[in-house]
Amino acid sequence: MYRRSFSALSALLAPLLVIGTPALAADKVLTIGAAVFPDTLKPGIGSFASQSLLVQTNEQLVQRDNKGDLQPTLATSWELIDPLTMRFHLRQGVKFTDGVEFTSEDVVYTIKYVQDPQTAYGAAARISQVESATAVDKYTVEIKTKAAFPTLLRGMAEILILPKHYAEKVGTAGLAAKPMGTGPFVFQEWVPGDHYTLTANKSYWGGAPKVDKVVIRTIPDGSTRVAALVSGEAQIIEEVPIDLIDQVEASGISKIDSIATSVGLVLTFDPTIKPFDNAKVREAFDYAIDKPLILKQILKGKGEVLDGQVLTKSALGYNPDLKARPYDPAKAKQMLVEAGYDFNTPVPILTQNGKYVSDTDICQAIAGMLTKIGVKATVNAVEGGTFQTMANGLKMGPLHMIGWYSLGDADFATVWYTKAGHRTLWYSEDYEKMFTAARSTNDEKERVRIYHEMGALAYKESPSLFLFGLPSLYGVNKDLKGFGAAADKVLRLTKVELK
Amino acid sequence: MILPYILRRLAFLPLTLLLVALATFVVLRLTGNPVDIFLDINRTPEQVEALTRRLHLDLPIPAQFLIFLGDLLHGDFGESLQFSGSAAEVVWQRAGATLQLAGTALGLAVLLGVSGGIVCAVWRDRAADAVISSIAVAGQSMPSFWLGMLLIEFFALQLRWLPTSGYGDLKHLVLPAFTLAAILLPNFVLITRTSILELMGEQFVVTGRSKGMSRGRVLLTHILPNAVNPVLSFLGIQIGTLMAGSIITETIYAWPGVGRLLINSIFHRDVPVVEAAIFFIATSIALANLAVDVLQMLIDPRIRRA
Repeated sequence: MYRRSFSALSALLAPLLVIGTPALAADKVLTIGAAVFPDTLKPGIGSFASQSLLVQTNEQLVQRDNKGDLQPTLATSWELIDPLTMRFHLRQGVKFTDGVEFTSEDVVYTIKYVQDPQTAYGAAARISQVESATAVDKYTVEIKTKAAFPTLLRGMAEILILPKHYAEKVGTAGLAAKPMGTGPFVFQEWVPGDHYTLTANKSYWGGAPKVDKVVIRTIPDGSTRVAALVSGEAQIIEEVPIDLIDQVEASGISKIDSIATSVGLVLTFDPTIKPFDNAKVREAFDYAIDKPLILKQILKGKGEVLDGQVLTKSALGYNPDLKARPYDPAKAKQMLVEAGYDFNTPVPILTQNGKYVSDTDICQAIAGMLTKIGVKATVNAVEGGTFQTMANGLKMGPLHMIGWYSLGDADFATVWYTKAGHRTLWYSEDYEKMFTAARSTNDEKERVRIYHEMGALAYKESPSLFLFGLPSLYGVNKDLKGFGAAADKVLRLTKVELK
Repeated sequence: MILPYILRRLAFLPLTLLLVALATFVVLRLTGNPVDIFLDINRTPEQVEALTRRLHLDLPIPAQFLIFLGDLLHGDFGESLQFSGSAAEVVWQRAGATLQLAGTALGLAVLLGVSGGIVCAVWRDRAADAVISSIAVAGQSMPSFWLGMLLIEFFALQLRWLPTSGYGDLKHLVLPAFTLAAILLPNFVLITRTSILELMGEQFVVTGRSKGMSRGRVLLTHILPNAVNPVLSFLGIQIGTLMAGSIITETIYAWPGVGRLLINSIFHRDVPVVEAAIFFIATSIALANLAVDVLQMLIDPRIRRA
């Protein structure tokens, strides 16, 4: 009896003895604190979070860099051979980490996989116009589209190339259980809800990574994430809460690395509710919001004030001639009076809580500014599911706040102002026509010209008030080199070096 | 005597779980179409259709519930939407972490709480009582996310004795277990203290003392066995609180347990996983309550007879 309890006790205490044993010094382990952890490793399912993990092992034909520009990856070059056909020349001599060579067969297989509705591939809509993919030879693939499809390349940047031989052998479940590809890292272990471990792919075509091992840990709570960074447990953390920026910088061992994302945060009207059918009323609201002040006070100067359009500065189609309307509450009030605005109209501002950086705080500030000129504004913060239900039914009340990703191309963000997007009740025939025109040509100059015009129209009509380009904020250990904050929040780790 | 009782109670378990299943089912369908919430905004109509059919949402609600119950009888909650694998498996993978955390926290709370309560009662109105009782009252009013942050700040950042968060060996368990224990611990102190003090005035205690038994012996053989029951009753009621508290604790410390899985799955409307997780939690609470009742019967013959 005593012996038994003694051995039970020692079994309990044994791990205590291990405490403090240093990890093998030879291994350079990079630990990352992730804010959002994917729920599955099934390729194409889930959000950017799973993309961020999977892109370590599997690559695309073309990849965005941290700024959002496209870079040749598994394809070295491409050309349009006719308006409906794009020819990709693949990188030669690239091997999957099991030693099998990467060829055009893998690309063709992947496109078929993405197009299968049973796959429920999240980014399938990004290449919705693709008709088929055919292998011309071992290193050449042609992708045919149903119509001119100017965003094909951007769309392909979402598609991770799967190894055909492996996928056919292990199936979808096998792929999700043990991803394998051509990427800079090799999958080692995934513990759902806890961590994801990778080892360096020493024979990576782009040069072996400079760390031996990467551990991506999920730390959902913002302040715990900062604590992990400040204590040195993690060298990189995602999504530093705005109010903890100072703590990160004051720690002495870490700093903030930030970049503007392509998310445009906007306040959208329901023009079917009176008096918001009146463009003058919508414009007046724009003058009532002190955007630079909110940027400075709530967003701590990170990010940008949108220039009177949904697109951030780096997106294709951004209109440099537009500027945000200045803060002028007197003018706002006067315009409302002139438009015969009834100041007793209740204006609840609908927002999700915790979806975007400081979302509820921003809405509170805006409600306060609107109240100042006599508008009866309140904030209605709801849970994501509720918001989604209201959004799908297009019943979001007079004003709601939402962020639209452009991922670098105006097409992705402007679609939400068209009927097909089914996200805004504002309707303009001219806007619809221009949107379709821009989508149907491969002539980039022409597209940009059209997007400029669409931007100007939306500025005049104000279906939304364009607020902020949101920042992506990372906390990074000062001893770390070669890491950069990414506009699309995808971790790029090939150049990261630990001191 | 006890075995038939356990069997009787176990026979009622399916009824409890049926009610839980019904409530979960109804709430999940009242709060919006899971397909709308789960699928990306860029979804295609084909994807919507495939998922609708997979979740049987194209059938009338009573039919959906019957299918759900039928699957349930086989322990099948369906395939998780966000994870690859069955929902039951996904929950089961996380169950160990939660049971480990909740079990340790409960152990800590009982052990520290009861010892604290004894100290308070024995040295009533002395310095030890004042200090422990005040800490208990203060602790009772401290929200766990705040306590969690303070503990991380002090033990992980200042002293550097323990890791800030994560799952792994014993040192990872210390802070989360203590944070979770702190929800119940103060109550255990106060309840133990009160019930011992009440018993101290009882006639059998006075008799014991007047027969010449030492204070320590009276405490051990007469008072404590009688003081255990109120503590156990409280424990039975509070298992639910403990499970609820684990959701917050698991989030603060990035603990890969069922609580965090549940919250995450609710946000994504991963219906099968939500149902499986709630089922797991309900079963744990029901079984823990049963265990408490049986313990009480073993300890107190009066309950056994009743």
